[in-house]
Amino acid sequence: MYRNTNAGPKRGVALYSYSAEFGFEKTLEDCFEDIHDMGATGVEILANTHIENYPYPTDAWVNYWFSLCDKYQVEPVEYGHWIDCRVLQDRLLSTEEAVARLEQDLRLAHRLGFKVLRTKMSVIDDALNPVENWREIIKGALPLAERLGLTMCPEIHIPTNLKSQMIQDYIDFINETGTKSFGLNIDFSVFRHKFDEGEFVDPHFVPNEPEDIIPLIPYIYCCHAKFIHMNDDFEETTIPYKEVLMALRDNGYNGYLLSEYEGADKYDQGYEVGQTLRKHHIMMKNILGY
Amino acid sequence: MDKQVIQSVGFRNIEENGEVVGFQLKIRLPYYRGVYLSQIRPGHLIVDGESFGADEIMWRVNGEDFTYADMRKDCTRHWHPMEPATLIVKKPGGLKQGFHDLTYGFCCTHSYMPPFMEALEDPDKPAVIYFREFGQNTNSRRLLIV
Repeated sequence: MYRNTNAGPKRGVALYSYSAEFGFEKTLEDCFEDIHDMGATGVEILANTHIENYPYPTDAWVNYWFSLCDKYQVEPVEYGHWIDCRVLQDRLLSTEEAVARLEQDLRLAHRLGFKVLRTKMSVIDDALNPVENWREIIKGALPLAERLGLTMCPEIHIPTNLKSQMIQDYIDFINETGTKSFGLNIDFSVFRHKFDEGEFVDPHFVPNEPEDIIPLIPYIYCCHAKFIHMNDDFEETTIPYKEVLMALRDNGYNGYLLSEYEGADKYDQGYEVGQTLRKHHIMMKNILGY
Repeated sequence: MDKQVIQSVGFRNIEENGEVVGFQLKIRLPYYRGVYLSQIRPGHLIVDGESFGADEIMWRVNGEDFTYADMRKDCTRHWHPMEPATLIVKKPGGLKQGFHDLTYGFCCTHSYMPPFMEALEDPDKPAVIYFREFGQNTNSRRLLIV
């Protein structure tokens, strides 16, 4: 299977970006060809959305998946999934139940050729703090993840700050367990410093400076290259992209930058997110030089 | 599949042993990710002003039928956004020929968002906190029965 073994940050696309068009204007293959057009080499899927018959895809579908990776020279980079502790509405899942469901996703991610998972934690409050037993849930799944060579990464997203206790707790957990099967996915929304007039912003949110990412690099396996506004000069106007990408490139980051477009305008009639993603990749290509 | 939640295809009366015993319609999941059946919070189906509660509506997902009581405890079967579900309602004689005004409300739980957001939502009312990628709770459409 195709693998991009070049050093430095690599360009990829999160299929989440296509959420308004997937299944309508765009098939899975259309998305792969779009990624190939951009010169990007990696993909993130959302398991519950992009895997036919999830969580029990047929072997025929799995073969189709690998045929797309092969045809468009795109590697499976990140398997997006959730630990839905409130999947039952009258009680929280027990640790054992959550581990069993997590293991199901680990096996499926491995079957599809992924090495990194964006493991979305269940949260308990507005600050997006994870459920109190998150350590036990992750520890329960670590043996399987380590055996399969997989890394589970919570996504660090606005309004979280990279210097917060939540991040320190994750780092402490990694250092205490010594595991390579748990890490971080940094979403660039944490660097966002411009907002539209009237747009809701969490009053506790403090944007990070680009250099804040540097000490975390040993723990980062993937980044969501979140973008909000690309202008026609191929600049992102709300996030200091050049500084963030340089901080990653100059400090040994070798993982992926997965373009993730979340703007609600992508649901407008006639909107083509593929063109917006291309703008973003022009920018990243110009900054990185490849 | 239509972009609207209530699908134009699949709306018809249901016959059993030569008698019309009810009707069905299809809906898609307007959420950007699939959900397990237990995550669904179904509201009411309103047909020309007549209301049908969650317990009166059978869901058919991936060819299997579920009552609301079944769905509430089923966290293994998954509803995919690309696979419309069929809602089956018992109503002797079915719906008469012509136009019908349909409104259906439902929403889903999402453990990765703050719990207070779910608590605010009523499946029978438009979303209090509306995200386009989550879809709207209530959807209406006027469709024909032949």
